[in-house]
Amino acid sequence: MANMNMIQALNSAMDIMLGRDPSVVLMGEDIGYFGGVFRATEGLQRKYGEQRVLDTPIAEGGIVAAAIGMGVNGLRPVAEIQFADYIYPGFDQIASELARIRYRSAGEFHAPVTIRTPCGGGIRGGQTHSQSPEGIFTHVSGLKVVMPSNPYDAKGLLITSIEDDDPVIFFEPKRLYNGPFDGDPNKPAVPWSAHPKGLVNEGYYTVPLGKADIVRSGTDVTVVTYGTMVFVALAAAAALGLDAEIIDLRSLVPLDVDTLCSSVRKTGRCVVAHEATRFSGFGAEILSVVQEECFWDLEAPIQRVAGWDTPYPHAFEWEYFPGQQRVRTALTAVMEPA
Amino acid sequence: MSQFVFKMPDLGEGTVEAEIVAWHTKPGESVDEDQVIVEVMTDKAAVEVPAPVSGRVVSITGEPGDKIAVGSPLIVFDTAAAPTVDSPRAAAVAAQAAAVEAPVAPAQAQVVAAAAAPVAPRSGRVMTSPANRRRAREAGVDLATVAGSGPGGRILRSDLALGSQPTPRDVSAETPAVRATVPETTEIKVIGLRRLIAQRMTEAKRTIPHFAYVEEVDVTELESLRQHLNGSLPQAVPSLTYLPFVVLALTRALDSFPQCNACYDATREVLVRHRAVHVGVATQTPDGLKVPVVRNAQGLSVWDLAAEIRRVSERARANTATRDELVGSTITVTSLGKLGGIASTPVINAPEVAIIGLNKAAERPVVHGGTIVVRRIMNLSSSFDHRFVDGYDAAAMIQMLKGLLEHPATIFIPKVQTS
Repeated sequence: MANMNMIQALNSAMDIMLGRDPSVVLMGEDIGYFGGVFRATEGLQRKYGEQRVLDTPIAEGGIVAAAIGMGVNGLRPVAEIQFADYIYPGFDQIASELARIRYRSAGEFHAPVTIRTPCGGGIRGGQTHSQSPEGIFTHVSGLKVVMPSNPYDAKGLLITSIEDDDPVIFFEPKRLYNGPFDGDPNKPAVPWSAHPKGLVNEGYYTVPLGKADIVRSGTDVTVVTYGTMVFVALAAAAALGLDAEIIDLRSLVPLDVDTLCSSVRKTGRCVVAHEATRFSGFGAEILSVVQEECFWDLEAPIQRVAGWDTPYPHAFEWEYFPGQQRVRTALTAVMEPA
Repeated sequence: MSQFVFKMPDLGEGTVEAEIVAWHTKPGESVDEDQVIVEVMTDKAAVEVPAPVSGRVVSITGEPGDKIAVGSPLIVFDTAAAPTVDSPRAAAVAAQAAAVEAPVAPAQAQVVAAAAAPVAPRSGRVMTSPANRRRAREAGVDLATVAGSGPGGRILRSDLALGSQPTPRDVSAETPAVRATVPETTEIKVIGLRRLIAQRMTEAKRTIPHFAYVEEVDVTELESLRQHLNGSLPQAVPSLTYLPFVVLALTRALDSFPQCNACYDATREVLVRHRAVHVGVATQTPDGLKVPVVRNAQGLSVWDLAAEIRRVSERARANTATRDELVGSTITVTSLGKLGGIASTPVINAPEVAIIGLNKAAERPVVHGGTIVVRRIMNLSSSFDHRFVDGYDAAAMIQMLKGLLEHPATIFIPKVQTS
């Protein structure tokens, strides 16, 4: 076991998969020679060569399209889209080709493509480096959508995603690359070395898709969240002295309905929190599932915490980011006497 | 709907809170003005509180045993829902009744309607959480009949008051012999008068250093006098007991021992001696021990004392004593009559400093003038607050009381004036 931040854990996952499986290739903008803008692929081209770790043109549509072709022809590509904000040029390839290739070919072809992309705000990135578009991809049938919240899960989930024979969109909350973040930008940064989930097995291991993690078990209220908001929710519930059950979904598709619904059946109260915008966001899907599965156990209306329905701003980032105060407001509302 | 919030009234000078003894209404019920809705208890007196308005009870505050501060909301009425035909359901029932019973006068129909639908069903949708709807459904509760105490009249889980007991299992079938012999326990909430008694007894025993003094009194002559007086009573007048004689003698003795007729004000650290003798009479009532007060006993004849002791005791037993009749004693007398035993250690009725206990009077062989004779003997078992009454004074006071009772004529003869 070694202390790793999320970058190092992801690097370790790709390193191991490049070593284990000769069909694994990495591709993306500046990932080879330079090692990636966030250093996630640092040293891998040197170690595995230019045939395995490819620098691509700045053309996301081309990156995804090439990855699909490689996948269909027997490779196992891991494509990096430098920021999730840049993924839209590749969206037609993802939604129209990648997601449907197995269906359209009646199972004759499939594309085991993993698309890694850093997402989320809290890094003073403004509208072009802060988006959380996971809900756009969860809406596309045929895609798996994953978002880890810590180095241990990141490595295990990425290995599982690479090994998966179908496409996975792998979102990396970039605010969590270097340490857990509770939503307060004025606090000194906490490194992953100070967190138990920063202790990562150096070898091969997997974390299954479709299995949520109960980060903290509790009886008062269920908070369903993922990514950066896991730590914000933990801090907000603790500040209110609530015995909250915090569920980190880890994979949005497939969704671990059993874990989240058995929790809501236990607590009778539910708050859903994500960084992404609220309207038609993934939180709405969780609300629907909870309502369908747990309606007769609900003590109070389900609350949603999300980003405002505007583009991610350049200024006023901390007014936009759904921080502890907004989670506390939702928790207070959901805890009203029933 | 118009709401009327009725606050806990001030039930006597200095009352800051009152304990709820029993509710005579519940949310959802309609009440008439002046109908007794709740019984509350202040320091000693139980008071029945009437409804100030007519209407439907929306919510009540506190359970029996809870203390509610004077001025805080006690009960909320919906005054728009007076107990008349004011809802579609009640009207429908009335119409049905009218149809079945042929020609029925409107007034009669109203009575039928009111009886059939005592809880006015709310108009519109019941507001409550899905979880509460399921609980109500599983318990067979019609939510339309439940009054909500939550925001906007929403029904809370606590309003359902379903409890969470699982369906009791039939355990007798499993181990019948053992189960049958194990006695069940009964839990009795310590509330109301019992709680007050418990508090006052604990307080008295914890703070007052008691000492007991037991002396035997030859009441042969007192018994003779008593028999004589009782033998010539008019029919309507009840027989005299020892008690009025003892109280009368006590007032005489206290004249010489004012330190025993006092109350201790702990907050000011002042001992208040009383010229008047207000005698508390420990009385067993169906609710428990009460101490009604005979005021100004020092000015009463033995007949008046007997009548007053009877009167206040009966009022205490019938729960009709006013607060004034239950507070303000300066010394207390306790007597269990035939159950009086040989000796006892009575607990002082704080803040008083002395309590006089009468034990059973019985004929005993005693040495009298060198021979063994049969005399009627009664012990006096008394307790004193040793902080303020020295043993010497207590003994002297009881000896004086003994002298008065053994020579009953002296009870009625004025003290010798020295100069």
